[in-house]
Amino acid sequence: MTENTIPSDLINLQLIETLDEIGEIIFRAKEIDSCIDQIMKSVRKIFIFDNVVLYLRQKDDQLEPKYARAIGRGRSSETDLAWGETIANDSLQKNEIIIRKEIDGDYTVNRMRLRYFIGLPLAIDDEKYGSLVFVRYGGPPYLSDQTQLCKYIARNLSHLLDRIKLHQKVNSLKHELQLKLMQDDFVATISHELRTPLGFIKGYATTLLREDTSWDGDTRREFLNIIDEETDRLRELIDNLLDSSRLQSGTLRMEFQHVRLEELLRVVCIRAQTFHEYQEIDLEIEKPGITVQIDPARIEQVIENLLSNARKYAPDSKVKITLSQEDNHAHIRVRDFGPGIDPDHLDHIFERFYRIPDQTKSTRGTGLGLFICKRIIQAHNGEIFAESIPGEGSIFHIKLSLDLSRNGDKKKTLVLMEEKI
Amino acid sequence: MTAQILVVDDEPRYVRLMEANLLTEDYDVLRAYDGQKAVETVAENHPDLVLLDVMMPILDGITACERIREFSNVPIIMVTAKGEERDRIRGLDVGADDYVVKPFSATELLARVRAVLRRAESNGSASFQQPVFNHGNLKIDFAKAEVFRDEKMVYLSATEYRLLLQFAQNLGDILSSEDLLVNVWGEEYRNDKEILWVSISRLRHKLEDDPRNPQHIVTRSGLGYTMPKI
Repeated sequence: MTENTIPSDLINLQLIETLDEIGEIIFRAKEIDSCIDQIMKSVRKIFIFDNVVLYLRQKDDQLEPKYARAIGRGRSSETDLAWGETIANDSLQKNEIIIRKEIDGDYTVNRMRLRYFIGLPLAIDDEKYGSLVFVRYGGPPYLSDQTQLCKYIARNLSHLLDRIKLHQKVNSLKHELQLKLMQDDFVATISHELRTPLGFIKGYATTLLREDTSWDGDTRREFLNIIDEETDRLRELIDNLLDSSRLQSGTLRMEFQHVRLEELLRVVCIRAQTFHEYQEIDLEIEKPGITVQIDPARIEQVIENLLSNARKYAPDSKVKITLSQEDNHAHIRVRDFGPGIDPDHLDHIFERFYRIPDQTKSTRGTGLGLFICKRIIQAHNGEIFAESIPGEGSIFHIKLSLDLSRNGDKKKTLVLMEEKI
Repeated sequence: MTAQILVVDDEPRYVRLMEANLLTEDYDVLRAYDGQKAVETVAENHPDLVLLDVMMPILDGITACERIREFSNVPIIMVTAKGEERDRIRGLDVGADDYVVKPFSATELLARVRAVLRRAESNGSASFQQPVFNHGNLKIDFAKAEVFRDEKMVYLSATEYRLLLQFAQNLGDILSSEDLLVNVWGEEYRNDKEILWVSISRLRHKLEDDPRNPQHIVTRSGLGYTMPKI
């Protein structure tokens, strides 16, 4: 043996294996419960104890047991056992390891009356997470290498607790950021959406007003049509914004009345085809004569929104509207045969501000339309949802209760309360 | 001679609006609907003026303007929907000559076009438009941002490409390490010579037949580097 080598009997293989196991458990751990159980199983191979308790500090500064095991002597004594709460408090408060011997009566009769505690603070810098306490009945006292091992476990648990806390913080910040980005994005989208039609109106109006040139009849008509369409777009956008803000503030008013659904659907279809001749709409009434208690203007708004979406996202497809009755519900289906909606986005399309990314410019939108639809249907105690097969099209389902009393009394005004985003 | 004007906007209605007005003034009109097409059209058709929208898919107007400036000094008017000062300054900083803020009136647009064309003419700046740069067996296609060695495409990182442009745009000049670092990486890298050495070495391995005896990027001991005139 040369002078520089460490004698191999100083390296305790079993100790190293245990430390390595603990390190691995901590490294892989996502939460504290299962992790500490594994550590205790591992450490028992080289360190003897009867009880172990992990206390975590609560918001009110009190310690709460998070994990406790009675392993050795006196397993059957349950709550009579010593759990070292005082030493846990002291250790955390002083932020130091405390070793304490406690005698509770005549221990020659009952070894459990002689207790050796070791309390270890779980803390990193100023952050105090809790304490770890080991208990031995009747000894032996803790030796210095055993104390060192306990310290190693406590330090690793502290790091794990710190990591869990940071992880939670990152998640909550991510969530906040996402909300903020959604709102920022909304402001950017809205200002772009408002300015674009305004820009066309201004541009084409001043083009027609130019005194140094004249336009032929066809061109004039083309430009005036653009101004007309862009004015409609601006109006629709402003209506949506106002509705959405009323929904947020809880002041969207509903006027309920008895309505025959097939009549309402017919009116909506005729109107849509008057304004958008190229949109082919099939209306199929499977069950005539369905009457519901609704705000007709709002339900028309929902159907019109779905038709407008179909024009945007499935421009070459016909739309099929079906009215049927199921149990106690009127069921309206609005189906298109366009490209469909990616399943990843399907769950989110009714969320406020949600827009499917990478849409081309021709599919303008603010992420408000379906959000408004959902709120309106909810105000009717109804249901709206979508299903879609990419490549085959989408179906939007609306279910409205046939129970006339459920949706609100005649002429009653319903005020919606909304959770704030 | 009739001036040829390239109109770039992703909204067809804006393209139509500008085109209709420009045609009444007897300009020739070219159209593009995204930034990448704009760069390519400038490279192919050498228009006399570009009306360039800012918010566009594929390549936004600011980046398109930067790319055009790598090979052409064609007058550019940024047409921006955002009236904010910041965007106007960004546009001017990357080499635009003027800007129009949406919504604009037809007469204002035409007045700006006339003014910018007049200015370009009176400057008499023989427009430099060199969409393709050749140096020995090396070729740079500015419009597509592609580099070829012996007609075979070479893949460069964005930084390597910017570094190469420094040499191509200053052919025959000696460029100091500091200037290269500041222009390509930014002011905070002024003294980071090692990063420049690594990048020059990588560029030479990609571009030179014999990196130990470079022909394109030559070291001028104690002074810097140069791409010598051939």
